[in-house]
Amino acid sequence: MSIAAAIRERDVAQLPGKRDEDWRWTDLRGLIRTAPEPSAAVDVAQLGAGPFDALTDEVLTVANGQGAAHVGVEPGEAKVVALRFVSRGDGAHAARVSVEVEAAGRLTLLESYDGEGGYLSHAGLVFSLGKDAVLERVILAGDAADGVSVSQAEVQMAPGSAFAQVVLTTGARRQRLETVIHHPGGHAELRADGVYLLADKRHADLTTVVTHAATDGRTDQLIKGVVRDQARGVFQGRIVVAEGADRTDARMGHHALILSDRAEVDAKPELEIYADDVSCAHGNTVGALDEDALFYARQRGIPEAEAKALLTEAFIGEVVDRIGHETARDIVRAWAADRLRG
Amino acid sequence: MAAVKQTVEHVQALERYKHGFVTDIDQEYAPKGLNADIVRFISAKKDEPEWMLQWRLEAFERWLALEEPDWAKVSFPRIDYQDLHYYAAPKAKEGPKSLDEVDPDLLETYKKLGIPLKEQEVLAGVQGAPRYAVDAVFDSVSVVTTFKKELAQAGVIFCSMSEAIREHGDLVRQYLGSVVPVSDNYFACLNSAVFSDGSFVYVPPGVRCPMELSTYFRINAENSGQFERTLIIADKGAYVSYLEGCTAPMRDENQLHAAVVELVALDDAEIKYSTVQNWYPGDPETGKGGIYNFVTKRADCRGDRSKVSWTQVETGSSITWKYPSCVLRGEGSSGEFYSIAITNGRQQADTGTKMIHLGANTRSRIISKGISAGRSSNTYRGLVSAHPKAKGARNFTQCDSLLIGKTCAAHTVPYIEARNGQSVFEHEATTTRLSEDQLFYAMQRGLSQEEAVQLLVNGFVKDVLQELPMEFAVEAQKLVAISLEGSVG
Repeated sequence: MSIAAAIRERDVAQLPGKRDEDWRWTDLRGLIRTAPEPSAAVDVAQLGAGPFDALTDEVLTVANGQGAAHVGVEPGEAKVVALRFVSRGDGAHAARVSVEVEAAGRLTLLESYDGEGGYLSHAGLVFSLGKDAVLERVILAGDAADGVSVSQAEVQMAPGSAFAQVVLTTGARRQRLETVIHHPGGHAELRADGVYLLADKRHADLTTVVTHAATDGRTDQLIKGVVRDQARGVFQGRIVVAEGADRTDARMGHHALILSDRAEVDAKPELEIYADDVSCAHGNTVGALDEDALFYARQRGIPEAEAKALLTEAFIGEVVDRIGHETARDIVRAWAADRLRG
Repeated sequence: MAAVKQTVEHVQALERYKHGFVTDIDQEYAPKGLNADIVRFISAKKDEPEWMLQWRLEAFERWLALEEPDWAKVSFPRIDYQDLHYYAAPKAKEGPKSLDEVDPDLLETYKKLGIPLKEQEVLAGVQGAPRYAVDAVFDSVSVVTTFKKELAQAGVIFCSMSEAIREHGDLVRQYLGSVVPVSDNYFACLNSAVFSDGSFVYVPPGVRCPMELSTYFRINAENSGQFERTLIIADKGAYVSYLEGCTAPMRDENQLHAAVVELVALDDAEIKYSTVQNWYPGDPETGKGGIYNFVTKRADCRGDRSKVSWTQVETGSSITWKYPSCVLRGEGSSGEFYSIAITNGRQQADTGTKMIHLGANTRSRIISKGISAGRSSNTYRGLVSAHPKAKGARNFTQCDSLLIGKTCAAHTVPYIEARNGQSVFEHEATTTRLSEDQLFYAMQRGLSQEEAVQLLVNGFVKDVLQELPMEFAVEAQKLVAISLEGSVG
């Protein structure tokens, strides 16, 4: 059962629904009753620029499921690649992309999603990192309000490698950004950070599963969310430490602000530990903006809306600051600020 | 590591589960298996009114349509529900009028377990010593309830469930199944059909129950399941503290214990419910035998400013599967959950709580300490949710897991669902092993490794132990130590 197969075979019965434990807060089966038509081809020349086009010459576009299928970085090579997923119209489409960074290679992958219409899209990504490879993945997900979008990435790390991911999303009618990471230990370093900024009736689901298979692995995760109106944010994070994966150090944090009475945040930060010499922790908070801080700002003449925007920007800033690529960080920061003030 | 080896040997020589004896007593059983006739048989044995029988039969019908759940992180061979006795009771000669007429074998059993069934025994000793009333449930029936007269003077009803159905039918009918609906889940539904006994408590408005109430559950019979049902109602402004303890003999086969506990707290009432669960955990090496403890416990904070506090020390059972919950319906009501869950040998525990915030300004607090040792598995699973109307809801959750040894597992699975912008939920969890530094420190000062571990573990669980009534806390502390014997090295 997979979403890609459901789209390909036009069989809605294969979509996950709320009876599937891992999809209880992101019900696709209940939402999509009939299989949409396959999406029509899109003329890439007509699309306009993507958010990261200025940062690299290597821009790969996947439009309605058609386009680039592989990004490769050779041993010792370093590059910056923009990978853009575009959805147009009301059809359904699925794409597969593989990314391979060989030993000691370095890649900054600037990934983006944009859409118009009531589409159903699926992106399946496979990452593989060689020994001591470094991969930074920055994702801006700007799907359409009527779109249904699922991105599922599977990451295979090697000892000594580093994988760092920061995702920012404004959600969609229903959206899931899922990352499954096989952590080999061996001093490999993992970060899996994210921010969701949701308004209106949008929904976003950030799901990660990290499996530590052997000794001496590190994982650090920080997710922050801001929801307004009737939006719904979902975070599911699972860290598994396999038997024998001693000296694993894993931390997970999820913090969300609910700015209206009808918005919702659902979270499930899970730890599944089969080894004893580990240090694992997670923290989770859900609440409103700090009244005292708001009062302080207003007392100094800052209007309420402005003060709220400032405080929420500062709240998510902690995650954005963790982006290593400087220019990309500035673009992401501006993107988030636009959406918080919009 | 000669010292370690010595410790291990020493511990193996100890009697691990001192409640593991069997009482050889004349018992009568319902035939094995489950069908509508067995349900009628149990109802008839209990001399129940017609409405109760209908209630049971309806539950049985619904149970047939339900499927056994499999989502918990536990694994066990499928239970053959037709291979159990659903009713086992010591053969009574003629319903005992006083304690003197109770079968001496039974009295001996409770004496061995250290449960005071004679009121004068409870009173013996120091003046002003804490007293508590006991309802003793042996397999499917309640054998004796102490201090009934004194409690009655205060207006408190404390009796076995069968007696309550006969004598306080209106109260039972009003509240039974109102917190845990008949078809709430597979095991609760089964319990509704075949429950045999349990305790019933009613504390009238404004009354502070003059002593601790307690029930002692004992499974004795072979191939039987225990399905007790407890219902506690604290009327407006009332207070009651209730304790529950349980043990079973060591047997090679697994035995099913599927209880339902319902608590109802009306305006300004408070219920404190403490459990020390020490069912036989099965053989630590082979995992053979032990109790399947599949229990549904739920409190309904129906009244404004009502409060329910669950405290549990879970050391026994081969499989524990329970989530004592609070439905915080009344405005300003609060729920607390303090838990120590210890698994050793091949035990599996999947336990936690649900705090469902429905009313405004409701508060909840969860402190869970899980300790896994041996080849065991220990899961905290919990839900905290706030309804859009639960403005100003607050929750604080802390779950810590401690791992002792390389072959055990500890999991944390919290669910948080916040549906309004004026509630604050905080959750923290950690998983670590016993600190080498602290162990070293303690041992350097002359403690043996075993003692050092005990000291650290007691420190780890202290937040929960101090929530227990005093006499229970002492017992629980000992139990913690016994449960972890042989876990280091």
